[in-house]
Parts: sequence; structure tokens; C-alpha cells
Amino acid sequence: MDIGDAFVRSSKRGKPLQTVSRAHSRIARYGNSHALHGIDPFWKGAMILRMSLPWRSLLLYSLPLLAAAGFWHAAFPIAREDQDSTKTQITWLAQISSERDAQLQLVKDFERENPDISVRVLWVPPNQYQVKLKTLLAAGLVPDVFNTGDIWLAYMLPFLKDLTEFTERDADDMDLEDFYPDVRNEMFKGGKCFYVPVSMNVSLLYYNEKLFEDRGVEPPTADWTWSDYIDAGQKLTGMNAEDRQVWGSTITGGWWGEWLILVRQAGGEIFSEDGRRCLLDTPEAIEGLTFYADKMLSQKISPPAGRGPSTGFASGLYAMSLGGHASSWITYNQVPGLDWNVQVLPAGPAGREGGEVALAAYGMASTSKHPEAAWRFIKFLTSPDAMERTGGTGLPVRQSVAAKTLLAPERKSHPRDAGIVYEQLKFSRTIPRLPDFIEVTMQIIQPEIDLLLEGRQSPEEAARRATASANAFLDTLAVETKGDSR
Amino acid sequence: MKARTETFWFWLFAGPAVVGFLIFAFIPMLWSLYLSLCRYDVIHPPEFIGLSNYFYLLRNDPAFWPSVKVTAVFALVNVPASLVSALAVAILLNQKVFLQGAFRTVFFLPSILPAAASTAVFVFIFDPDNGLLNSLLAGVGITGPAWLTSSEWALPTLILISLWGFGSAMLIFLGSLQGISQELNEAAAIDGAGTWSRFRNVTLPQISPVIFFNLVMGVIGALKVFDLAFAFGAAQGKEPGGPARATLFYVLNLYDKGFNYFHMGLASAMAWLLFIVVVALTVFNFWAAKKWVHYNN
Amino acid sequence: MHRRHPIATLFIYLTLVVGAMVMLFPLAWMVLTSLKTFPEVLQDPPAFLPTEVQWTNYGEVFTGFKFHRFLLNSMFVTAMSLGGTILSCCTAAYAFAFLRFRYRSLIFGLLLSSMMLPGQVTVIPMFKLFVTLGWVDTFLPLVIPSWLGTNVFAIFLLRQFFLTIPFSYIEAARLDGASEWRILWSLVVPMSWPIVVTVSLFTFLGSWNDLFGPLIYLHSEELYTLPIGLLYFISQSSAMQGGAGNTPWHLVMALATVMVLPIIAIFFLVQKQFIAGLAQGGAKG
Repeated sequence: MDIGDAFVRSSKRGKPLQTVSRAHSRIARYGNSHALHGIDPFWKGAMILRMSLPWRSLLLYSLPLLAAAGFWHAAFPIAREDQDSTKTQITWLAQISSERDAQLQLVKDFERENPDISVRVLWVPPNQYQVKLKTLLAAGLVPDVFNTGDIWLAYMLPFLKDLTEFTERDADDMDLEDFYPDVRNEMFKGGKCFYVPVSMNVSLLYYNEKLFEDRGVEPPTADWTWSDYIDAGQKLTGMNAEDRQVWGSTITGGWWGEWLILVRQAGGEIFSEDGRRCLLDTPEAIEGLTFYADKMLSQKISPPAGRGPSTGFASGLYAMSLGGHASSWITYNQVPGLDWNVQVLPAGPAGREGGEVALAAYGMASTSKHPEAAWRFIKFLTSPDAMERTGGTGLPVRQSVAAKTLLAPERKSHPRDAGIVYEQLKFSRTIPRLPDFIEVTMQIIQPEIDLLLEGRQSPEEAARRATASANAFLDTLAVETKGDSR
Repeated sequence: MKARTETFWFWLFAGPAVVGFLIFAFIPMLWSLYLSLCRYDVIHPPEFIGLSNYFYLLRNDPAFWPSVKVTAVFALVNVPASLVSALAVAILLNQKVFLQGAFRTVFFLPSILPAAASTAVFVFIFDPDNGLLNSLLAGVGITGPAWLTSSEWALPTLILISLWGFGSAMLIFLGSLQGISQELNEAAAIDGAGTWSRFRNVTLPQISPVIFFNLVMGVIGALKVFDLAFAFGAAQGKEPGGPARATLFYVLNLYDKGFNYFHMGLASAMAWLLFIVVVALTVFNFWAAKKWVHYNN
Repeated sequence: MHRRHPIATLFIYLTLVVGAMVMLFPLAWMVLTSLKTFPEVLQDPPAFLPTEVQWTNYGEVFTGFKFHRFLLNSMFVTAMSLGGTILSCCTAAYAFAFLRFRYRSLIFGLLLSSMMLPGQVTVIPMFKLFVTLGWVDTFLPLVIPSWLGTNVFAIFLLRQFFLTIPFSYIEAARLDGASEWRILWSLVVPMSWPIVVTVSLFTFLGSWNDLFGPLIYLHSEELYTLPIGLLYFISQSSAMQGGAGNTPWHLVMALATVMVLPIIAIFFLVQKQFIAGLAQGGAKG
């Protein structure tokens, strides 16, 4: 009997015939109505031995799986499996940047010079870097060499190898004296070395020479104070010849880049020396925050929160920018007609001290199986020659490299006064070495700063609320209170 | 069929799903319940600390209650608005119209665009100074708000953008509308019932199970929303959730704690609180459904 | 049938056309941007149409990074997830619909409850599991769960639809000596074709657009899928421009267009089946 007939028969128990015949025809359409009779003996045998059927199904079920596994192995050999077993392989978790091609070339040169070592490079976008690194750490797939620097140092300490021994042994070979003294101090802070710097960023006062000239305002000088900055900013704010709004200065929102400088220049600090207390509610810190918000809210030399040309200083519609980042230099120099220069930061109530310096560096995993090979690679990447070839995203940390690139007399591109970088460096500090610095600053303090900039709370309120929440965090969740000996 | 054989088939058919449930849902759930009572940074072994994570969240964490509020507002506006627009478009597309298939595709399309691409478009539309919308508003003399970059407007803007994605709910409505009995409708028409009355008394009751289904799924989806805020943060080159936590959805907060800063214990505690709320809401929905959902049998 | 009032017709078309324009705008903008030059993209205020169509953007995307590889990877992962989901979810839905077992409702209820779980909760334990198995940096974590019926939503949808099939059909087929396996694939699935198509479509979309899974499980560039490739492409090409403010949106949009095209094509293809199936579903009431 046909399955369809079975339906017709069963349908007599009150189902409308139309539905059944429709179901029947649908089955016919999908080619199964010849179902159960007149088919091969295997099927029939299988049907008699009912218990054997499940095994058949099981087989059917697993076949695609097996096929998949086979296909996958054939079609997708995993890169790390076809490594050359005679070589020591090290892994480098590299950050994607404009220097990618130059860095790849460096890897090739390194492998040529060191035929016993091969380098596997994993490229990661900058904004995914920390999550990727931590995911790999959690998976136990720690790369031998990875990017670090002062910002992540405190967090990364448990996974970083102490390189002091290597740097002492190879001090001459590396030419440690070539690093700028401030950089070297930072590198050996506390007597131990956990990374080798490769480039840096120093916060500066950026200014648009053309806008200053157009308005007849004297360009910034090294003895400027906060009030000079505001005065100039007010003179520069207004409509330009093309009837477009020009602003005296950018205001950096969304992260600590600008407000931390101002807090420090007012004599305040974000965390106590031991990292256990937030100090943002001190009168000095509040003075810094007030200056930061007033630029926009009362002096009006910066556009309201979230407004203004989205490309920032590069738009050519801002006369000044306080802080900034060296990685933007490439962009600035691509904008036709953007004549820009730099000056040291204007001095705050507590003096010039307080700009931020951030070091980009290479570190080695404490679990690396090939520390010698990894060290050779780090040494290679931080040699003067390599730095010279990959310096696009930051400022040189070696004097010999700076002399050949940034400070070279024949250098034509902006800024003209590049030497200012190393003047400002003397007045700059890194962010505090606190494992939770980024989390506390971005997740707890920054939202209060956002509200401050929108004029929805006063600097005092912002400081008080940020400090209370930050302290609650430091008391309960901070890495240091976790009880292990970091 | 013999009960034993039936049991055998049951396990053969449902077995993989049950195994999958145990491995990928049940055991991880129990594990995360345990983790929610621990301090755990993924790299060091978990350390038991009792209910501290829950206390921290409910009492100290400055981000917890704002993220609850953001999610609640989103769910309260997004769910009804999506349901109504999905149903309305489904009703229109259920009429005999020219290019019916093309219209159906067009209304479904936005829900399948990759987030990276569609967010870029919306960021351009809602840019406060150069954006399309504010340029149009300026044309009629209105100064538009700062949309995504303002803590007051960011959430309403995201809710507005989320309405583009009603496509799958619309398709499910469309399917159910095509399944309703035309005889009843025509009988009602012969009895002299007007369009609205027919919709209210014939169509709505018949599709009420599907409305209920979309409601339950919509509520669960709205409470778990994550991609939206995350993608918009990335597209603007900013930390997701801002400004001033205005778009810090609950699960985004959970993700930040767990994956950006590796407080897995806290993240697990957040997940369990959310789980309890979702279960409670779903139970409530099922209870309330007795009053308005009509099943044919 | 009643004739529609002309004003009603006008209203319907007006709403549909305006709505369609609003809905289409993101896609249209995406395609148009993909045909512009970089200065045109940065132009302020932006122009809607490119002055000259730049097909070369597409060439740049195809040659600029390992597009073929990523496409192949995406196809593979999606196909495997789709196969696994259909197989494991159809069988499970059949079991929960037609096979009597004492704890069936309890088990089904438990499965459904996992739908309410935020996915982020299970990520860490699962990640630890895959680390232990040594599956990190392979496709297995993206594919294997789908073979074990983890798409509970699909099981739920399928079961609901299966239940509309009169049980007498199943009984009749059993009387005829058909195995449960055969009843499922020769009777139940063909009768439930619309929902199978729907579930396939949703599974396809979920897998094709999945970003989170590849982000945490795939670390080698050779294994990247398209969404993560897109992310890396954006990051890399903006890094090349020196800073995040200068994303080359014309290239990003070209890549996104290429990524969306298969989805649109597949939707168009199954749409006929889909709509026809939905209409057939009418008989089930």
C-alpha cells in the first residue's frame, strides 16, 4: 500500500479530504510517494529487523560529520602545522598599522639573519589587541612577543618576562645609552625591565599656522600659560573667509587624553601613589577639570560636546589642539594646505609639569618556550636600523634615530619645530602604574566627565561622584586586592 | 509502537540536542552560577567570595543601574514599536499589490545587512554637523540635536535605528496572515462587519498566537541586545556605551566587565540576574497570554 | 472578493513606496559609496551620487587582501552549520513532537529555557572547553555545536510546525512499516517545507554574519571568515591612512556589498519557495 493511500484512509476519521489530497500531492511533488514498496531488498530487510534501522540512521547521521572532518582536513591545513621542524618558531602578536609592510620586511630580514628561527606573525587591529591578547592568554596560546608599553604594563606584569638579565647582558650590543634618558628611566623604573620601547607619544600643543596668520594672532611660545591659550583661542574663534565656523581649540572627549594633563598641570593627580585612592576630588584636580570644561562651556573656544568637524584638527577648522597623538601626523601631512606646528604645552597654575608620555614597546611572555630566540627578535625590532624603518606611528625613542629622521635638517614635512617633542618630554609623565587604570578611568570616571562636558553637572559634582565610585571599585575589585602577589 | 522502541527512537533523535544542551548550556550555566560567587580573571583559578559580586553590582557599581535603565527603556519602546510596524507592514504586504515579492524582500533586507556596513550608514545619517538628517532639518530651519553624540539623544536614536530590523518579525506575521481562514473573514463581511471590525474580531484573534510568539521573542531579544550599541561605538571610533553610559545596554556592560576587563565573576553574576528577570518576564507573558491569545484547538 | 477602494489602494502604495525607500536607504548608500573615490567619500557635505562610477574599488578589494580565502572559509562554516542545524534540529523537533517519552515535556522545557540565557554567560565555559580540546584556532568551535542541536529556536519553530501535522498521518505511516527516520524525512519534513526553509534561512544568516564566534576562536589569518575579514580590513586600511578618522569607506562598502550579495541572492531564490510554503501553511489553520 502506498503511503498516500494510508493518508486517505486515515483521513476518514474526520479530516477534510482536501487537506489530505493536498498533503498527498505535496509528498508526490517531493518525490517520496513511491515510498515503501518496490524498493531495494536492503530497505525491506531493514524494515523487518526494526532494531537494525536505528543503526542505519546512526550511520547516516555520522556520515556527513565524517565527510566534513575529511574535507576540512584536506582543504584547511592549519598554518602552524606546516612549520619547519628544524627551526625554532616564535609567535609575534603584531598590531596592524601603517607600518605593516615595513614590519613584514623586518621579519623577513630577521629570518635571513637568523636562519634557525622562524617568526609567525598574528596581525590584530589596534582596537582588538587587548581582547585578543587576553583571549590567547586565557587559552594558554600565549604569543612569545607582544606589544606592551607603559599603559598596559601594570595589567600585563603577571604575563611579562623580566628582561633585566637580558638587557644587562646585552647593554652594549643594544646601545642602551642611545635611548633618551627619560625613556630609559621609565624602562628601568623600580630597577627592573619588562619591555623595550620602540616609539612614543608625547602630548603637545598643536597649532594651525595659517589660522593664526589669518587672524593676526602671535603663534604660541614656550612661556605660554593657560590664560594665553584661552586669550588666543577667543581671538581665533569665529567665521573664516569661506563663512565656516573656526574654533580656537579642539576639546578631546571620550578618554583621559586631555583632562588628565590639565588636572596634573593644576597640581592634582588622578590616583594616590599606592594606587589605592582616587584623588580627583582634591581642589587642585577640580581646578583642572574646571578649566577643561570652561574652555567649552564659558570661554567657548571649543565646540559643544559631540559637535564640530568630526575629523578634528585635520579639518583645518581648529586653530589649536591640546594633547594630540603622534600617530595623526601622517594624516595631518596628507591634508593639502594644513600648515601646522607644535609647541610645548602652556603652563598651568602648578607649572609646566604634567603632560603625558606614552611608550609603545615590545615585551616577552613569561611562559615563552624560546626566550633566547624571542629576545633576539625583540633586540632586532628595537635596533636603530629597524626603528628607523618602522617609525611612522610614533616618535623616536633613540637619539640616533631621531637625529636621522625627526630632527634631520633636510626634513621637509610638518612640524617645523619637531625638536619641541624632546623639550616637552622633560615635563611629561606616564600614566600611573595601576593594573586597573584603564578600567577605572574609562568605565567609572569618564561617564562623569561626559556629563560635565554636556553641562549637566558641575566639575565639583563630577569629581565627587567619580571619586566615590572609583574608590568603591578600588576597595572591592582592584587587581591589587585580589590577594595574589602581583 | 512498543514503548521501548519509541524511547529508543526518542533518544536517538533528541539525544544529540540533549547532549548539546548539557555541554553548551546546562553545564556552562551551572559553572557560571559558581563563577558568580567567585573572583575570576580567567587566568588565575577562581576564588570563592560568596555573594560579594551581587552586592557590588546592586550597591556599588556605578554602571549597573544605568545599564538596567537603558535596557528597560529600550525594551519598553522597541518591542511594541517593532511589533506594530512589523504587523502593519505585514498586513499591507498581504494585500494583492504590484511587485509584492520585491516589496517583501526590500522590507526584510535591512535586518540582514552586516552591522559594520549598516552602522556606518547610520553614523553618516545622524552625524550632528554634516549628517544627512540634520542637513535636512537645517533646510527647514530646525537645529537638529547631536543624536548619537548626546547623552540625551543617543538612546532614542538607537531605538529609532533598531526599528529598521523588524524584517524577521514581519515575515513571521506575513506567514500567519496567509494562514488565516478566509471563510471566516468573508462570512463576517457578509454579516456586514467593517474592515476594522473584521481585523479586530476575526484576524487578530487568529494571529494572536503569532503576536504572542513575536512578543516573547522580542522581549527576550530586547533584554539581550548587544550588537547594536557595540557596533555603533566601533563605527564612531569610540568606547561603546557612551556618552555618559547613555547607550550602555545591560549585556554590553556585562561584556565590558567580562571580556574587556576580565571580571568573569561579576559578569556571571550579571548574567544570572538577567536570566532570572528574563525567566520571570517570560512566565508573566505566558500567564498574561491566557487572557488574549486564542489557540484554535 | 471585494474590490478595494481607490483611496485605500493609493494609501497602501504610498505607504509601501515611502517605507521601501526608507528601508532601502542604507543599502543604496552602501552601494553608492562603494562606487565613489576617496575624496568624494570625505567630501563635506557629502554627495549622494558618485560623479564617476569607480568599479576599480571592487578590484582593489578582491586583490587587496585574502578575499578568496575568507569567502571560502565563510562558505564552509556556513554550509557545515546549516547541515548540522537542519539534521539535529529536525530530528530533535520530531522527537519532541511525535515520540512519547516520560520526561519529554521536562526535557523540552529545559531546552527552551536555554533560549533565555544571554549568550555571553556560556562563552567562557565553552571557551575553556574548546581550549581543553585543543580546538581553538580551528573551525570546530563554530561548527560542532550546530550538529548538537544548540539552535533551540530552530527546534522550537520546527516542533510547533510539526505539531500541526495530524498525528494520524504518522500512525498510518508507522502501520505501513516506515521507520521513524523515514517518516521524518519523507513525510514530516516535506510537509513542513516552509518552516524548514525559514529555519535554514535564519541559520544561514546567523552563521554568515557571525562576528563574535570567529573573533574569539579564530586567530590565524588563513581561517578568517568574511565578517571578521571586513573588520580587519577596515582597521588595516584606516591604519594605512594613519589614524582611525580616515576609514576608506568606499573600499569598506565595496567589501560589504560583496558580502551582502549572496544573502540577497539566496533570499530571492528561496523567497518563492518561502512564500509558497507560507501560503500552503494556510491549510493547517
